[in-house]
Amino acid sequence: MSQAAFELQNVTKRFRRQTALDGVSFSGNSGEVIAILGENGAGKTTAINILLGKLKADEGAAHVLGLDSAVHSQEIRQQVGYVPDEPCLYDWMTVGETGWFASGFYPSGYYERYCDLMTEYRVPLDKKIKQLSRGMKAKVSLALSLAHEPGLLILDEPTSGLDPLVRREFLESMVRVAAEGRTVLLASHQVAEVERVADAVVILIQGKLIMQVRLEELKQSCCEVVLTGNIDALQKQELPGEVISKETSGSQQQWLFLNTNEMELNRRFSQIAGLIYEVRTPSLEDVLLRLLMSSREKSDEQNAKLKQEEATASSMSN
Amino acid sequence: MFFQIESGSGVPIFEQICRQIKYAIAQGSFKSGDLLPSVRELAGTLAVNANTIARSYRELQREGIVISVRGTGMEITKEAKAICVKERKRLAQENLTGVLAEAQASELSESEVRAWMDREIRRLWK
Repeated sequence: MSQAAFELQNVTKRFRRQTALDGVSFSGNSGEVIAILGENGAGKTTAINILLGKLKADEGAAHVLGLDSAVHSQEIRQQVGYVPDEPCLYDWMTVGETGWFASGFYPSGYYERYCDLMTEYRVPLDKKIKQLSRGMKAKVSLALSLAHEPGLLILDEPTSGLDPLVRREFLESMVRVAAEGRTVLLASHQVAEVERVADAVVILIQGKLIMQVRLEELKQSCCEVVLTGNIDALQKQELPGEVISKETSGSQQQWLFLNTNEMELNRRFSQIAGLIYEVRTPSLEDVLLRLLMSSREKSDEQNAKLKQEEATASSMSN
Repeated sequence: MFFQIESGSGVPIFEQICRQIKYAIAQGSFKSGDLLPSVRELAGTLAVNANTIARSYRELQREGIVISVRGTGMEITKEAKAICVKERKRLAQENLTGVLAEAQASELSESEVRAWMDREIRRLWK
């Protein structure tokens, strides 16, 4: 059995002609917080649903806590805590009844722990779900997914639309769960939050895995360089590391380098006559934005090319 | 102790925590024999990954600023204050070098910089 708490191996999922995930592999070990980042529709929720066994992969395999997601969906859902982006709760139940109802699916002790969590989060047990604010509903949803002490906690954009205080409580819970040696998988758009709590990030763009990297490594190996002057000299030589994006603003260019470090860049660039440069450490948000923008540019180029080809083809047939 | 964590900044979070603890020791808010909060406790209050906090503590331990006392936690060493004061001075010098480089780059003249520095020195060291 693999050591990973969860794992996707070469997973492909298509919805009609749309490829939601394209040969994606990533994993997380016990005690780690792994965050999936990517734009809307990048495949984050699809990946989560395949792990939970709610969707079947067209190709590849998914495992959670040593169980095959395609076969043991029921067992997985008993051992995993899942907080969806929109909590699915019965409006007409009270907070207490909701926990009592859910406790039927889990071993004993669930309801007691649920009540403790609700006290901690200051949500009264006798309140009807329909009377709760969005933040309180989110807390109920979190308590429901923590009360069976799951080995893996999966949160799908848990903090979107919540006030800062509730968001903070969510973050604290995630940190605590991981500190207890359990695993957290989090899909989020709140990059600053991810930077605080995650050990590693998985970046998905248009269904493809762009990178899975430990945050520490990303910080150490990613540099942003603002260039002016003799930029042409750089085009002619081999560069240190990989350039993942280039942007132009007037006579300045901004390049994002991966797999390199500040010392190496300084060493190489200081030798180029007439090149003015400044090396900066980008934030995770900068890296993500650059990756998203460069992938959008690439797909725009591809689309333009396709359109041109179609136009040529149709003019030839005419 | 109160920490301020900036996630977007270029300084890694573990480094921010190290620096703030060192500042607090240099300033005297933390004294030799004091205990740092446990990794879990600090991770919880700051909502920062526990591995990151543990890394900061390891770094401080490596530099001889704290020592792990079995069953008690991370204790601030006798040498910590001297190390942190030195470190703080080093950082201040580094910042000064940065400021001077910035002044030179913005084409301030040597005499302008000197005049400004003299004025500030007279004001602060009076």
